[in-house]
Amino acid sequence: VTEEQVTLEQRMKRLDAILAKLENDGIELDDALALFEEGVSHIREAERMLSDAELRIERLIAGPRGSFEIEPVADDTD
Amino acid sequence: MIARGARPEAYTVSAVNAMAKELLETGLPPLWVQGEVTGWKRHTSGHCYFGLRDRSAQIRAVLFRSDAQRLPADPEQGMEVRVLGRLTLYEARGEYQFVARELEGLGAGGLWRIAFEKLYRKLDAEGLLAPERKRPLPRHPSVVAVVTSPVGAALQDILRVISVRAPWTRVLLSPAKVQGDGAPSDLARAIRLAGRTGLADVIIVGRGGGSIEDLWAFNDEVIARAIADSPVPIISAVGHEIDTTIADLVADFRAPTPSAAAERAVPDRAEMSRELSTARDRLVAGLDRWVRTRSLHLEVAGGRLNRVIERTTRRRKERLAQYAGKLDALSPLGALRRGFAVPLDGDGRILRSTDEFKPGDAFDLRVADGSVPCRVEETQYSRGPDG
Repeated sequence: VTEEQVTLEQRMKRLDAILAKLENDGIELDDALALFEEGVSHIREAERMLSDAELRIERLIAGPRGSFEIEPVADDTD
Repeated sequence: MIARGARPEAYTVSAVNAMAKELLETGLPPLWVQGEVTGWKRHTSGHCYFGLRDRSAQIRAVLFRSDAQRLPADPEQGMEVRVLGRLTLYEARGEYQFVARELEGLGAGGLWRIAFEKLYRKLDAEGLLAPERKRPLPRHPSVVAVVTSPVGAALQDILRVISVRAPWTRVLLSPAKVQGDGAPSDLARAIRLAGRTGLADVIIVGRGGGSIEDLWAFNDEVIARAIADSPVPIISAVGHEIDTTIADLVADFRAPTPSAAAERAVPDRAEMSRELSTARDRLVAGLDRWVRTRSLHLEVAGGRLNRVIERTTRRRKERLAQYAGKLDALSPLGALRRGFAVPLDGDGRILRSTDEFKPGDAFDLRVADGSVPCRVEETQYSRGPDG
């Protein structure tokens, strides 16, 4: 799973798991630092996503034999 | 009429019926008739035959297939109905009858109520309405599919809410006809399409408020099945609060309006910021606590080393809080830079326990920009979290 493919949901779940581990006692220095580092990177990425304020709207179009296409739709909510 | 001899000319039966039919059809405009349904029969052709009666009279009536198809349910025997149609004559039998185009059940909900209750019982018996079938909704969906009319107010409401609360969201519109002929199957198709993409984390199915007839598509069995079969949790948002549809009952979550559905579907940006900020505090506190408990193991060189660690610990906390948001590479080296110190023996092994420090032993305290040669004066064992 590359960085691009990590969803916000996965990130937040991983962050929960990291916090649970870090707040638990039996871990070593390297692990604690690695968890901290990973946690910080998840927070940073999530915050970057939050500030990435472009709503993406697309339309699904059914194709033959169960296929589908996706086309962009202009957002006219403003 | 011209008489020939003594005997007046006779009309054929067909001619009489044709004249009577003409009189009936042209003499009266289309009209609403109210009465009680009796002997309702839906023929295999799809045409429905029935009688309308009151205390003292009865009319034969027919509702042809194209009109009968629009009925949500067949009326029950004795049900009070209003029927719009016109009078005609069925020439083959010489019987006059009422050709109905529309039929409305009177009383609470009319035919809609009958259809609703019938389908409700069926789905309930299959367990499709059971609370334990409801799936949890994702807390942070990346992709929200919306099944609704591409031109309805519902879509605009949903987009507005998502763009304010969670503008990072990807919205997949699966357009559908939400009322009128063919709406139920079109909605079901659009729901299946949204599920089939494998992209959506949650699906909102809905439309704005309307009359019971407008909302009827959401009470159809095909939409109930499509919702029940969806691989992705579904939020229903049909009309306003007072209207509960079968779609609402089968969905994983029922929202009273499309806006409420969108609010439930995505987290709020401000809430997310707070959540992340709390997570950051917990990360820092977690590491802080880690160092605090471990530093007990490092109380080896009496006050002097202890003071160094205490000082670095205090400084570290401030610096962590300051840097947590923009740390690019937090490696052990980075940690050293921010004030951690690691005791190493002559072979470069990390010393983790008082057991490993003997009075008089030399060790190196590794800090960010080098190392500090130290010598153990005494060790004080304190029961740590590991021991």
